[in-house]
Amino acid sequence: MRSEHGARRLALVLLLAATAASLLPSVYMVDISLRDSTESFAPVLFAPHPTLANYAAVLATGGLGRFFLNSVIVSTGSVALTLVAAICLSFAIARLKIRGGRVILLAVLSALLLPLASLLIPITVLLKHLALTNTYLGLIGPFAALGIPFATVILKEAMEAIPDELEEAATIDGASSLTLLVRIITPLIRSALIVVAVWQFLFSWNEFFLALVIMTQDAMKPLPLAPLYYEGPYMTDPGKLFAILTLIAIIPMIFYAVLQRWFVGGLMAGGVKG
Amino acid sequence: MGVWGLKAPAGSRGRAPGQRTRVLGAGPVASALYVAPAFVLFAAFILFPILSNIGASLVGAHGRPGFANYAVAAQDPVFWTALENSLIWVAVSLILEIAAGFALAVLIELYLARGRAIFRTLLFLPMVITPSVIALVFTTLYAPDYGLLFGLFNWLGLADSFPALLGTPSTATLAIIVVNVWQWSGFFVLMYCVGIAAIDRALLDAAEIDGARGLGRIRHIIWPLCRGTTVSLVVLGTIQALQQFPLIYLMTEGGPANASQTLATYIFQTGFSENEMPYASAIAVVLFVLALVLVAVEYGLAGARFAPSSRESRDAV
Repeated sequence: MRSEHGARRLALVLLLAATAASLLPSVYMVDISLRDSTESFAPVLFAPHPTLANYAAVLATGGLGRFFLNSVIVSTGSVALTLVAAICLSFAIARLKIRGGRVILLAVLSALLLPLASLLIPITVLLKHLALTNTYLGLIGPFAALGIPFATVILKEAMEAIPDELEEAATIDGASSLTLLVRIITPLIRSALIVVAVWQFLFSWNEFFLALVIMTQDAMKPLPLAPLYYEGPYMTDPGKLFAILTLIAIIPMIFYAVLQRWFVGGLMAGGVKG
Repeated sequence: MGVWGLKAPAGSRGRAPGQRTRVLGAGPVASALYVAPAFVLFAAFILFPILSNIGASLVGAHGRPGFANYAVAAQDPVFWTALENSLIWVAVSLILEIAAGFALAVLIELYLARGRAIFRTLLFLPMVITPSVIALVFTTLYAPDYGLLFGLFNWLGLADSFPALLGTPSTATLAIIVVNVWQWSGFFVLMYCVGIAAIDRALLDAAEIDGARGLGRIRHIIWPLCRGTTVSLVVLGTIQALQQFPLIYLMTEGGPANASQTLATYIFQTGFSENEMPYASAIAVVLFVLALVLVAVEYGLAGARFAPSSRESRDAV
C-alpha cells in the first residue's frame, strides 16, 4: 500500500531527527574535549583540529581516581543493600504472606511520591548526629532507602508469578524459608533483579543533591561532584574541563550499553497493567 | 494498581488473592527479620525525616513553637516565585515528555519494521548521563558568543538578536526545563514502548478490521490502552520535576535575581547557604504537601478522563 509505505518512511525520518537531537549535546561535549585552547571557544559543533592532548593532561594530573573510587564504593554498596532489603521484604510479602503485608507495601509505595528535596535537611541532620557525614554509609543508607520502593514493586510482582508447586516441592524436602529464598526464588527472578540493579546503580552513580550536602570533604566526593571541583580551575580551558566531563559521562553510558539488553528485556517481559 | 504499573513476566499463574501459603517454617520472628532491613532504612531515612521536618518547621524565632516560618514564607516574594516555578516545571516538563514519549514510542512500535531496539537505546542514552555533566554541557551550549546555539544564530545572520537564555529572568527557567525534557524524554519513550508492546495484538487487528487505522487507531485504541502507563509516568514525572536540583543549581543557581528558583533550590539556599534550617524545613513541608496534592489531583483526573467513553469506542468502529 502506497500510504502505508509513506507513513513508514516519515516515521523513520522523524525518529532519526529525534535521535540526532538526543545525541547532539553528547557529540558537542566530546568535540570540545578534543579541542586545544585556541579553538575551545569556537561556536561550532566540530572544531577543525581534534587532539587527545586534553585527556593526556587531565589523566596525568590525577585526582579523578579518588572521585571514581568513591562512586564505585557508594554505588555498589547502594545496589547491594537495596537488593538484600527489597528481596527480603518482597519475599515476606509475596511468598510468606505475612500479616499486614498490604499495609507495609502501601507505606513503602507512598515513598515514591516524596521529592528528595523535602527530605534533605532532616537526613543531613540525622547523619550529623550519627557521625555519618563524609562516610560511605552516609550515602549508601539514604540511597537504599530511596531505592527500596521501586525495587519492592518489581521484585514482589516477580515473586508472585512463581508457581506454588516449586515452593511446595522444596518445602516437602524440608527446606527452610531462607534456603527456599536463596536457592529457589532468587534465581527465578533474575531478570527482575537486573532491572532493579541497573536502575539503582544509575541512580546512585549520578545522584548529586545528597552527595553535595553529605560529602563535604574532598576525599569523599563521588564523580557527580567532580565538575563543580574542576569548573573553576579550568574556566579558561574548557577543553580540559570537557575531557573530565566526557570521562565522567562515558562510564554510565558503557554500563548501560552493556546491560541495556537485559534491562529493556526485563521491562518488556514485565508488561504493563492498566 | 501498582504505582509503577509493572508486573512480572507472565507464563505462570499467581495464586488467588487471600489464599494462604502453608507454613514454611517462618515464624513471627523469622518474618520480622525479613522485614527488618527495609524497615530500618525506611524508618531512618524516610519516615523520621518527614516527621522531623514538620517538627523543625514549627520552631519560630527564639525557639518558640508556632507557624512563624509559614507566615514568613507567605510574605516572601522569592518563596512565591519558587512555588510558581515549581508548578511551571511540572506542567511544561510533563506536557512535553508525555507528548514526545508517546509519539516517538508509537513511531517505533507501530511504524518500524526493523531497528526498534536501536532507537529505544539511543533515545534513552541521555537518561544515563550524570546531570551535573549535562548542566555544564548545556551552559556552554547556551552561552552567548561561543556556545553552539550562538553559532547557529550567527550562521543564520541573527547574531545580534541572540538571547542570553540563562541570564534573562523570563527565559532562564524554560531554558533549563528544556534540558530536563531532553534528558527524560527517552525514559518516557521506553515506558510507552513497553506499554504499547504489551497491548494484545488481537485487539489491534480487530480494530483494523473495523476500519480504525492511522491516527484514528492511535487516538481511540492505542492512547486509551496506554492509560496505565500514562498515569504512572505523570506521577513519576511530577515528582522528578519537583525534585530537579543539579541542573538549576549549576546552570543559574536559581538566578538571575532568583528568577529560576524552585522550591528544591530554595530549600538548599535557605537551609544550607543561609543556614536558616527552620525556614528551609517549612518550605520542605510545603514541597511535600504540594507533591501529595498534585498526585491526588492527577489520580482524580485520570479516573475522570482516561476512561474510554462510549462515544470514543463508537468513533473507533
